[in-house]
Amino acid sequence: MTFSAFFIGVGGEGVLTSAVMVAEAAHAEGHYVRGVQLHGLAQRGGSIPTEVRFGSEKELFSPGIMQGDADLIMAFEQLEAVRATHYASKEKTSFVIEDNPFMPVYANLLDMPYPKLPEIVRRVKPFAKNVMVFNTAYLAEKEFGNAVLGNTMLLGAAIGAKLLPLKSQSFHAVIKELAPRMVKENIMAFDRGVELGKRGK
Amino acid sequence: MSVLAPANSKTVLLGNEAITRGALEAGVGVVACYPGTPSSEVPATFSRIAKETGVYFEYSSNEKVAFETAAGAAWSGVRAMTAMKHFGLNVAADSVGPVAYVGVKAGLVVMVSDDPNGWSSAQSEQDTRYYARMFRMPMFEPANPQEGLDYTKKIFDISEEFEIPVFLRTTTKVSHSIGTVKVGRYKKPNRKGKFKKDMQRYYNLRPNLQKMHRAIDAKLEAIQKKYSKNFTTEIKGSGKTAIICSGVSYEYAREATVLLGLKAPILKLGMTHPMPDKELSAFIKNKDEVLVLEELQPIIEEHVTQLAKAANPKLVVHGKDLLPKEGEYNLEKVLPAVAKIFKKKCPDFAARTKKEQDAVKGLPPRKPVFCAGCPHRSTFYAVNKVFPKDTVWAGDIGCYVLGIFEPFEMQDFIVSMGASLGIGHGISCVSDQEVVAFIGDSTFFHASLPGLANMAFNNCKSPLVIVMDNSVTAMTGHQPHPASGFTGMGDPVKKLSIEDICKELGAEVRVANAFSQKDLVSKLEELKKLKGLRVLVSRGECRLFTKRKLRKQGVDFPVFEIDQEKCKKCGVCTDQFACPAIVEIHEKKGDKPTYWINPDHCWGCSVCMQICPYGAIRAGVRKK
Ligand SMILES: Cc1ncc(C[n+]2csc(CCOP(=O)(O)OP(=O)(O)O)c2C)c(N)n1
Ligand code: SF4
Ligand code: SF4
Repeated sequence: MTFSAFFIGVGGEGVLTSAVMVAEAAHAEGHYVRGVQLHGLAQRGGSIPTEVRFGSEKELFSPGIMQGDADLIMAFEQLEAVRATHYASKEKTSFVIEDNPFMPVYANLLDMPYPKLPEIVRRVKPFAKNVMVFNTAYLAEKEFGNAVLGNTMLLGAAIGAKLLPLKSQSFHAVIKELAPRMVKENIMAFDRGVELGKRGK
Repeated sequence: MSVLAPANSKTVLLGNEAITRGALEAGVGVVACYPGTPSSEVPATFSRIAKETGVYFEYSSNEKVAFETAAGAAWSGVRAMTAMKHFGLNVAADSVGPVAYVGVKAGLVVMVSDDPNGWSSAQSEQDTRYYARMFRMPMFEPANPQEGLDYTKKIFDISEEFEIPVFLRTTTKVSHSIGTVKVGRYKKPNRKGKFKKDMQRYYNLRPNLQKMHRAIDAKLEAIQKKYSKNFTTEIKGSGKTAIICSGVSYEYAREATVLLGLKAPILKLGMTHPMPDKELSAFIKNKDEVLVLEELQPIIEEHVTQLAKAANPKLVVHGKDLLPKEGEYNLEKVLPAVAKIFKKKCPDFAARTKKEQDAVKGLPPRKPVFCAGCPHRSTFYAVNKVFPKDTVWAGDIGCYVLGIFEPFEMQDFIVSMGASLGIGHGISCVSDQEVVAFIGDSTFFHASLPGLANMAFNNCKSPLVIVMDNSVTAMTGHQPHPASGFTGMGDPVKKLSIEDICKELGAEVRVANAFSQKDLVSKLEELKKLKGLRVLVSRGECRLFTKRKLRKQGVDFPVFEIDQEKCKKCGVCTDQFACPAIVEIHEKKGDKPTYWINPDHCWGCSVCMQICPYGAIRAGVRKK
């Protein structure tokens, strides 16, 4: 079985780092890994998609996820969750959304209001098996004084909610390798996320 | 993910990283590149590991110079490589053709990355495979990161064996895809060489030229004979319907057959010039129908059609009748085509797409914008204030291309690096309109010097040239250029002075602080009154680059805030300046908005403070 995870967010390196963590954790657990990382316009405020797929070398080939075929969509910015519906379907896709609005300048310039969270969930629902929303950016700022740790926390939430079939221990090891300067904080944020995921909010 | 993973281990690598590793394992000694997406991570990775691995790496001023640097090293017996985006090859082409005729001594690999879909904001969907035919060079195309490594390693040997430079061609979804890769061993490269004079070898004038032409064709024939089999993969299957493919299309073909439960015969070409004619002919001989999967132009398809005339005249060849030439392939394009020729059912992707479009209807788009604190936004804002609306805005390639979008809309056309000058000059030759040409600092050294010299020489009314000097090649990832002050190996070096070069060309030059509206406007007003070649150097470091530096050094900077008492809700900071850190919040529809600077997104450039007509913006707390 191939597992396909789609990551979307805005700017920064958070989305990319989270996707790399998943790829590395899957690799550490012996899976064959494929995926897409579009570098380039990542830093210019556009939405950046990253794809990670893992499974068996005999079945998994395409780097990109097919329309409607994602098992998991991690949206690190809530509005972008709606733009990821291309990869989602009612039959198989779980959405894990961070309640972390980042207003695009075009909301002002084109007079198109930024939707509120319930509106976003309403639009995503027809494409989702289930939708979970976490306010990890807020919690990370409050509890660790660093909103960026919200990304790692959100990964933890996906694991805690059993929506990503990988082990917590694999992530602990990967964090040591990928975030050597903030190992303790990242592991704490991750574990806090696992707890949130288990509770479902 | 580690490019320097220990020998014989497995790791996950980006296609471009795997190619870098392959070059290391082949013992590459010299790598010279000008950055360009989707190939940028090859130079970026070498830049990081060059010192540690003993490779000489440089960021050259453009692709032609980069190719020539690599060729010089290869002529002197040191294995060399260059990597560029598709347009880079247009710049380098003038030297690639002749070097192919002359040949090389040590292996020379020219990596070129095509970008179907234009993910890199490219200006055309060029198919580089035509160049291989034009220059008579072999071309190899990996399908995934593992092949990226294996092919790169192998083709250095082939290049050396036949004394011919070789193309390694990727497309975006090969360069930018990740995959599990088994790595081999790399060792310290040989970096010492010597150029040996040899008139027989380097004399490429007639009548030797014709001899060389024959020789290169003979090399291609020999390579076809010896390596066709090695670079062709056949997946055995049953039935008389089959797939022929290359590059990432192979990955889609394999997965499509898994998804449809097919045992389809597949022939995959890893070498697309010369093509494996013997293998292709044998493969199509007993088939009724084949589907050729290749992104962009139908090059393999036409070749198969040609071969079929002798091998199997009744063969039905599909390809671009079922799939588009434009854009890149993916599973939802390939699956229906495969399903169709194998007569299988397939999901109705198009019907779904309609529902997805409905889901996003009415939502604000998120097109790329200048970063918060970007010097370019400030420059465009000032230029817009000084010059009339009907000014011709000659556009160019770099982050400043984003000036094409609202609220500025100040890039009337975008052609190629440096073209703002030539085309702006051409317009000035015939029109009385005011012309302003924008070029970046990296673009200045890459392709603008001839344009400037031409304007100085052909002294007709020139456009006003604005050099947007943000100190790095920002758009492709902050690589250094001749005025950055450091090299691709990270060593400090004297900065070239853009203003001195322009002065030497006889231009009226002003240098303004890109973060000061007052300075920008006054220098622009001065230049507007003058005639002849005029250059404004608008200097302000790329804010993203600054921010990363400050972060690394642990230095804090002030973020700005809006005094709600003084704010008159005029909307200038959002509607005309549009820094993404400034948000307009409507509690309810129809309510008067509140303007707020998100302290997490503000990078403290201070320009919004300068443009607020009511002095409502001020420096706030300091942030790391
Ligand atoms: C021939 C060619 N080579 C490379 C590129 C890739 N490219 C696009 S934008 C850019 C950066 C230009 O840098 P600069 O002029 O300094 O502008 P900045 O992005 O820093 O604003 C490059 C190298 C290209 N488009 N064409
Ligand atoms: S100071 Fe103003 S213009 Fe500059 S980054 Fe901050 S909010 Fe944007
Ligand atoms: S990367 Fe630098 S130059 Fe490019 S938009 Fe951002 S701040 Fe401006």
